[in-house]
Amino acid sequence: MKKVLRLVSVQIGAMIGEFFSIGDVRKRKSNLLYGGIGLFVVGMAAVSFFYSYMLGQGLMIYDSIDILPSLMMAMTSVMILLTTIFKIKGTIFGFRDYDMVMSLPVSTGGIVASRIILLYLLNMVFVVIVILPMMIAYGILVNPSPIFYIMGFLTMFFIPMVPVVLASIIGTLITYLASRFRYRNFVTIVLSIFAIFMFMGISSTRGGSTEELVNMTKALSDQVNSIYPLSSFYTKAVCDADFLALSIFLGISLLSFLLYSLMIGKVFKKINSSLMAGSYRVNYQMGELKQSSPLKALYKKELKRYFSSALYVLNTGFGIVLLIFLSIAAFFVDLNTLFGDPLATLQLKQFAPMIVSFCIVTCCTTMASISLEGRNLWILKAMPVSEKTIFHSKMATNFTIIAPAFLAAVLISMTVGYGFMQGLITLIVAILCAFFTAAIGLILNLRFPNLNWTNETMVIKQSAASILSIFAGMVVVAIQFALLNRMNSFILAYLLYIIFMLVLDFILYMVLMAWGKKQFHNLQV
Amino acid sequence: MLKISNFSKSYKGNKKAVDNLNLEISSGDIFGFIGHNGAGKTTTIRAIAGVLDFEEGDILIDGISIRKNPVACKQRMAYIPDNPDLYEHLTGIGFLNFIGDIFEVNQSDRERLIKEYADAFELTQNLGDPIASYSHGMKQKLAIISALIHKPKLLILDEPFVGLDPKASHTLKSMLNKMCQEGSAVFFSTHVLEVAEKLCNKIAIIKNGKLVTSGKTEEVKGNQSLEDLFLELIEQ
Repeated sequence: MKKVLRLVSVQIGAMIGEFFSIGDVRKRKSNLLYGGIGLFVVGMAAVSFFYSYMLGQGLMIYDSIDILPSLMMAMTSVMILLTTIFKIKGTIFGFRDYDMVMSLPVSTGGIVASRIILLYLLNMVFVVIVILPMMIAYGILVNPSPIFYIMGFLTMFFIPMVPVVLASIIGTLITYLASRFRYRNFVTIVLSIFAIFMFMGISSTRGGSTEELVNMTKALSDQVNSIYPLSSFYTKAVCDADFLALSIFLGISLLSFLLYSLMIGKVFKKINSSLMAGSYRVNYQMGELKQSSPLKALYKKELKRYFSSALYVLNTGFGIVLLIFLSIAAFFVDLNTLFGDPLATLQLKQFAPMIVSFCIVTCCTTMASISLEGRNLWILKAMPVSEKTIFHSKMATNFTIIAPAFLAAVLISMTVGYGFMQGLITLIVAILCAFFTAAIGLILNLRFPNLNWTNETMVIKQSAASILSIFAGMVVVAIQFALLNRMNSFILAYLLYIIFMLVLDFILYMVLMAWGKKQFHNLQV
Repeated sequence: MLKISNFSKSYKGNKKAVDNLNLEISSGDIFGFIGHNGAGKTTTIRAIAGVLDFEEGDILIDGISIRKNPVACKQRMAYIPDNPDLYEHLTGIGFLNFIGDIFEVNQSDRERLIKEYADAFELTQNLGDPIASYSHGMKQKLAIISALIHKPKLLILDEPFVGLDPKASHTLKSMLNKMCQEGSAVFFSTHVLEVAEKLCNKIAIIKNGKLVTSGKTEEVKGNQSLEDLFLELIEQ
């Protein structure tokens, strides 16, 4: 057990270090590092408290405050489920230091346990940030008995177990199936998107009917339980101090976690070996080679790099897939009938460019494109091409991945009944947001590079650059929202926004060409 | 072809990895750069290749400063690091074609040279497979082929014989000789003193970042073996 915990601590240390990209100056920056992490957690917890408190106040109006704990627990669980599916490959399977770890005098079971504990702990941070502030908010609003806090605190440690297990089973199945194909990354991407759409489909079709809205509490509670059935046991255990429900909740969580750990131990080596063995032909014969310009060659290399990582595609491309899906679906349904409220259709019409922008800013591939060069950075550095060409190739790749969103913007404009001017504005806003996304991602990755990663997840999902790029995107969308709310005219609001984005994009490009070039020049593995 | 003038490089903590190094390599030279672990060989090689930035001194490739015009310098040379980490998501041929595009090698030369070198290193059959499936030696061979297909005037290699099988080592030595006969220059670091002694017409020995000796191989080593000379200089 000591060895397992040591393995976990090494991985957590590496993860924290890589999050801040502190490299060889780890010791000198340790105080700053822990201070930074502390501030980040406290800040997130404060936001979470505010959210819970506001939601709780809203629920009190409908006399439904009792569903706050189960609602937040279900939301947390669903978030854990959706994000952990992507983490399986890279954490449990196909991690870069597999050979080194497997050569250590630790049993396979021990190595598997260390990996699962790591997944659990990562998700536990998220649970603490959501559930503790929720308990405080609920405490202020309801003033429950002390047993609520005891039960809430006890159950908190079990919340991530079932979602982690479910996500791991789905992730393992996807990895296992994909490992049998030659184009395994493509299969992984397709299967993962399919799994998420399936989950979203099941959640939306199992919701309560409109008649049930008469009883708001029941409807909301049924909705939450349909999304995540374990939440009903959680509510009874925490809010009603029901010991039977508590036993069922803890029992299911613990048992599923233990069973999964045992099961994964059996296929751990098999899947990892299969992932590494690959299917190769060794029968190449020289044929005609196609010539490209240096920029096009770099661009093609970037695109191939992007699609070689299922994790990269799923984390940055999902917003675009969703947008395309929505834009095509919206084409075949009558929006007035769908929402049953003309006001909702009107609002959709008002906010359509914002929906498009939101999906675009989640598709930032450049935030990891420098870090992912990793130990291959020497190739770029030794090549007779300028930093400008390298940056252009990375931004062009991001633009290509976002490009289907431009088509979606046109489709949505047609669906909501925009005129030419409004449609054009939607398209221009989409293009400007795409440029912003590509530029800010590259700048942030140059500022927070991590070239010594051992696991792609660290740079794609858990790096400062990835988190900040999403945050920056949200700020840009929020500005759009604020302008729309402040101004009465759609056209005027968006003309102002377009001017703002043009200036911002120009500044970012100038920063890239001056500071970014120097920063790239100084990068060392 | 390569002129290193007063080159110094310090890392964090102000320790000088290389201290005031001066070297000159002409066309036709095969220059061996010898030193113990941590002597400053890789630092020097990375600075020549334009991979590592430096503040003191200058390095000229074919008369052009790597600091002032790195792109023009890189167009004239090729660099292979001691551990060639290549793009594992590309196939072998994909990587060679990529390098061909970057160095703007025309199609007929590209196809001819890739075939010639891949056949010589017995790698042709594997070129369609992902680099991720290659062994260390195969990656080394691929990196060498990629360095040769654009006919560099200067070839910079860091420990090029590590990981190569005896036949591939022999092939590489023949190719380096042929390149130099055709007017290019080769600068490489090595721990294998026998290789340096037999292959290089000029050598330099570096110790703790400072040049200890350099010149024509025969003149530098005199009557003793290179191994004896190296040990004598290092232990001083």
